[in-house]
Amino acid sequence: MKKFIQHSILFSFFALAFYICAVFVFGSYTLRNLKPNINFKLGGNTYSRLIEVKKIDSIDILFLGSSHSYRGFDTRIFKKNGLNTFNLGSSAQTPIQTQILLKRYLDRLQPQLIIYEVYPPTLSIDGVESSLDIISNDKNDIYSFQMAIHINKIRTYNTLLYATTRKLLQLDNNFSTPKEKEKDLYIKGGFVEKEISYYQPQSIPKNEIILNETQLKTFVKTLDIIKKKNIKLLLVYAPITKSLYRSYTNNTYFDSLMHRSGNYYNFNEMINLVDTLHFYDSHHLNQKGVRLFNEKIIKLIDE
Amino acid sequence: MLFNSIDFAIFLPVIFILYWLVSKNLRLQNLLIVLSSYLFYGWWDWRFLSLILFSTIIDYLIGISLSKQDHKTKRKILLWTSITVNLGFLGFFKYYNFFLDNFITAFSFFGTEINANSLDIILPVGISFYTFQTLSYTIDVYKQRLKPTKDFIAFSAFVSFFPQLVAGPIERAKNLLPQFYTKRNFDYSNAVNGMRQILWGLFKKMVIADNCAQYANIIFNDSSEYSGSTLVLGAVFFTFQIYGDFSGYSDIAIGTARLFGFNLKQNFAFPYFSRDIAEFWRRWHISLSTWFRDYLYIPLGGSRGGAWSKIRNVFIIFLVSGFWHGANWTFIIWGALNALYFLPIFITNNNRNNLNVVAQGKYLPNTKEFLLMLITFALTVFAWIFFRAENINHAFSYLSEIFSISLLSIPEIRPVTIFILLFLFITIEWLGREGEYAISKICLRCNKLTRWAFYSFIIALIGIFMQTEETPFIYFQF
Repeated sequence: MKKFIQHSILFSFFALAFYICAVFVFGSYTLRNLKPNINFKLGGNTYSRLIEVKKIDSIDILFLGSSHSYRGFDTRIFKKNGLNTFNLGSSAQTPIQTQILLKRYLDRLQPQLIIYEVYPPTLSIDGVESSLDIISNDKNDIYSFQMAIHINKIRTYNTLLYATTRKLLQLDNNFSTPKEKEKDLYIKGGFVEKEISYYQPQSIPKNEIILNETQLKTFVKTLDIIKKKNIKLLLVYAPITKSLYRSYTNNTYFDSLMHRSGNYYNFNEMINLVDTLHFYDSHHLNQKGVRLFNEKIIKLIDE
Repeated sequence: MLFNSIDFAIFLPVIFILYWLVSKNLRLQNLLIVLSSYLFYGWWDWRFLSLILFSTIIDYLIGISLSKQDHKTKRKILLWTSITVNLGFLGFFKYYNFFLDNFITAFSFFGTEINANSLDIILPVGISFYTFQTLSYTIDVYKQRLKPTKDFIAFSAFVSFFPQLVAGPIERAKNLLPQFYTKRNFDYSNAVNGMRQILWGLFKKMVIADNCAQYANIIFNDSSEYSGSTLVLGAVFFTFQIYGDFSGYSDIAIGTARLFGFNLKQNFAFPYFSRDIAEFWRRWHISLSTWFRDYLYIPLGGSRGGAWSKIRNVFIIFLVSGFWHGANWTFIIWGALNALYFLPIFITNNNRNNLNVVAQGKYLPNTKEFLLMLITFALTVFAWIFFRAENINHAFSYLSEIFSISLLSIPEIRPVTIFILLFLFITIEWLGREGEYAISKICLRCNKLTRWAFYSFIIALIGIFMQTEETPFIYFQF
């Protein structure tokens, strides 16, 4: 029995070392199809944003949330109005990722106000995709490990293992990413401007918002972190197309939940935008829409 | 609790250590097995624990009563009480709605409308497995092949033994029950063998079955959208899915039992390397096939009697086997199809031609063996279409699309990764076909470093190719 346990422990170490090597070899030298559970994507606007945030000391407003945040809050418009802002949104950012970013950067940024963009689907998903984005493009520390445990999916574990190995081997020290990629232009402060285009309406089936328990719990904990720091907080549901908004059958439920969580503003009920004029797809504003939305929110802050 | 879950990865080592810590006390070990098995089962739905407990108590009491009773009629009544109770539960939970629906359809066919509501019945996981296991005990005691046990804890452990509780192998009381009476000593090589078998089972389930399932589901769920060639591919993917899933479960179950000092029966013996359908059925779900042989086929007369009674018995056995899998006509047709495959070689007395392992001692089969394996494989793939289809209409529309001109087109879905994984899997299975499971002998003579590297490579493949979501085993629904 003793021999069996000893050998099992020894084998576990051996297998772990082998596993790390295998993940590295598969991650580095095989085609994408052959590594479905390793999804390391270095570069893009998250990379630029997370490089920039490390150089910033204090700001007036910090934006958090999904792509609606980094494509919806134009830091230049706020700057023109005398507000120094930074946009820490990331693709499909769920509360699990919001929390890790806050833990890493809140003390450095010291914002007076946080505008937290809340979008029902990001509270309904497991957060794997967004975790991969952050693991690939930011430093990996104990918070990354906590996030992986929280999400508990093999793709997150493997990508974290692979990203950590790459960082230990210093393979990405000379990496840089272009500010402009396809139709996206990265703007100082974390905003991403999309080349102007317009949404072609499509029929959207009715859909009920079913929130993920883990995400909801993390959301509450994230709000607690902000409250403990005595930072003012606005919860914002950024505009999406009317057709998509109306496809959600339980918007009132979501609104009441957010109202209970803090100062909440649903801009789908506060601003009148046209689907075919102010959006480039069913849920992202184009630059015309961004301008109107940002002006409205600045007015709200002023009030 | 699923074998391929984090919960089980914590549960198993904890129970394993506790179990061997109390190895000096047999009753305590058995009690620990009962408690851990109830925890294992209750993790899924604790309400159905009462069914297992009830079944255990009934069969335990009937067993004791049978030992005290010499009166033939009273013994028969006791036996039929056990059969009625066990099959009654199974019938209610598994077949109630099926019979009701078919009853209504049959009456409406003759112009009589019947209003009856289907019940929203949840099928208790593994009910078909543990029902058959406990039935084997009562029947064996009745036939005086086995002495009834007076040890209630040992009997409870036999009924609920967690490694094989929910999806087999269906153990005979004669094989498993005595193992609960005798002291188990920890055996290093048996435990290592168990770990190795668990590893291979996990690979089969998490890499082969779950990846094949992904494409089999896409193709079967939307079969009208694909060409015949893609549908053939879908059927092949399902063929490997069901094998990887079910034999993977059996490997994990047998391997886990080994860790606790128990020997369970081999349930799969490389069935896709069979040279005829009789050989296939000697190698596929062995514990169920032999159960039906011993408790249904032989009592019906078996292969004795005239040609017609032989044919009848073969049909009964395959139809019941199909129906055991689920309350759907697709399973019954699957069973009938296998009976049709089997009958020609059975009637011509060729059903025991291939009793040995194919190409024993050789690396490759000869042309004849290869062709026979290919034909048998094609026949099983064809039958699996009925097994997987949602209903009869779906199965026939699937087949009609296969037998169309689009069979000659290039498949729309060509998952290269799955092809590579299947090639690797078939190669390892082929190389290990003379063992109890594929990797039972592979690399055993290599030095420790190479052996460990081989096992670690399998672990790495699991980590890299497993599905993100935990997927339940197909046979849980049976």
